Amino acid sequence: MPHLEISDLITVTDPLSGARLPVRRGDVVRRLDEAGDPRAARIVAALPAGPDDVLDPLAVDRLMIGVHTELQRLSEELRVGERLVDVLDPLFEAIREIAGRRGRFRLVDIGSGLGYLVRWLASTGALGPNVELIGVDLDAALVAEADRLARAEGLDCRFVHGNAFDLPEVATVYVSTGVLHHFRGPALAEFFEAQADSQALAFCHFDIAATRLAPVGAWMFHRARMRHPLGRHDGVASARRAHSDETLLRAATVPGIRPLLYEPRGLSNPFCTTLRPVLGIRPYLEDPLRQALGRASRRLVGAEQLTRGGPPGHDAAAWSATAGTGAAR
Amino acid sequence: MNPAWALAALGLVDAAFSGFRAYAGRDARIRKHRAVVHAALRGLSVGAVLLLAPAFTAGAVLLLAEDPDRAYGALADGGVGFLVPLGAYALAVLFSLAAYLALPFRASTLAVVVGLGPLTLARPLVVAAACAGALVAGGGWTSLLVGAVAGAAVLCVEPYVHRRWYAPAY
Ligand SMILES: C[S@@+](CC[C@H](N)C(=O)[O-])C[C@H]1O[C@@H](n2cnc3c(N)ncnc32)[C@H](O)[C@@H]1O
Repeated sequence: MPHLEISDLITVTDPLSGARLPVRRGDVVRRLDEAGDPRAARIVAALPAGPDDVLDPLAVDRLMIGVHTELQRLSEELRVGERLVDVLDPLFEAIREIAGRRGRFRLVDIGSGLGYLVRWLASTGALGPNVELIGVDLDAALVAEADRLARAEGLDCRFVHGNAFDLPEVATVYVSTGVLHHFRGPALAEFFEAQADSQALAFCHFDIAATRLAPVGAWMFHRARMRHPLGRHDGVASARRAHSDETLLRAATVPGIRPLLYEPRGLSNPFCTTLRPVLGIRPYLEDPLRQALGRASRRLVGAEQLTRGGPPGHDAAAWSATAGTGAAR
Repeated sequence: MNPAWALAALGLVDAAFSGFRAYAGRDARIRKHRAVVHAALRGLSVGAVLLLAPAFTAGAVLLLAEDPDRAYGALADGGVGFLVPLGAYALAVLFSLAAYLALPFRASTLAVVVGLGPLTLARPLVVAAACAGALVAGGGWTSLLVGAVAGAAVLCVEPYVHRRWYAPAY
């Protein structure tokens, strides 16, 4: 049975025009029932809809903003900002080494939601003054709220309504947090390809580590910290949908990119590693990045380390068949 | 030993944390130290009022008792039994909070995932254990009554503060 997230089903945006599409409550309830998730179906059945059974878009927007605000609390408590800077700081150091210290760089957070990461980076100045900070999201209401929050605190960053597969903003580095598990099947590789085809020097996408503990930890943490049943439901569904290390590396194996995993399953304590990134860097960045990481570079592995005595995941055999091809590119 | 002051202090600290929890997740700004302090003070003031309920209950028990000295002794014994599970819980929270605040992000994740998440969920169980502790320590039904009122008061702070000041618009 596929694990579906309610938030994916109740907000539908036309990928071409970016326009919000009407969503019929009954259709969503039926899909969730068919997927064997009656609890999720009940949550949706309780949402307000008009006489035509179309979900009230304003109520859905308010709900999504509320749930993302609660989600931000989890990011704050798990110190997602510091976790990112732990990798992004050395990455930008490597980029500055190659591009020159005086360059101006741009970080684009894809699927930025309420923009916590971008606003936190702007507020702390953690990446230095010459990195422009932009968030992109498909959900117009979240983008507007992220923008309002940034203005309210006078933060130097901006937010743009756009689609991850048709990126409106060029970047030096693309990042994301908690977005990869939303892209299934071929869409995952297409997501990485779009960035590899751009002028970006690297991408660094953080998502839930697919450990055995992840669904239990997600249940515990969301139960303790989040109030709305939608947030609790989707939090656990995300952990169940998290991509394995092998799937991520395989999908990130795209031309012009050296795919790497930071803190893969076998190398990290599952209690400490809730989120970790898959990276794609231009091959000439690998040595400077490893140098900038210092001792931590042992946490950074390519496909060859994963297959060679590395931790076999459930689809390791399938991965072995394709391993190496992308790493060599 | 009269455990009333230690219990009151624990109850008030818990109320301040409850105020923080009632607010957390409702404000997406980055800089919110003042709002956090404000929420904790709200929790503290609501807790101070609600904790009058067990104090009055204990007062009523003593007033109505045929032998006030024995009733006082039973309440004091029950109070100590009530305090033991709460004290152990408070120590565990203190330990995991200290680990969370002092350690770098990887280890602090451990403190959050192993400690603070389950410890937050366990609060009603800890109150139940404290009530059982009051009985085991020989506090009798009067201690159980006061303990149950105190436990209910403490558990009500967070939902009350949340509903009164931070309830969402959705
Ligand atoms: C789980 S949320 C994560 C939000 C935020 N990054 C965080 O960590 O709190 C996933 C986000 O991805 C966005 N999203 C999903 N598909 C997208 C796409 N094709 N393009 C841009 N954003 C997308 C959603 O609107 C949502 O805000």
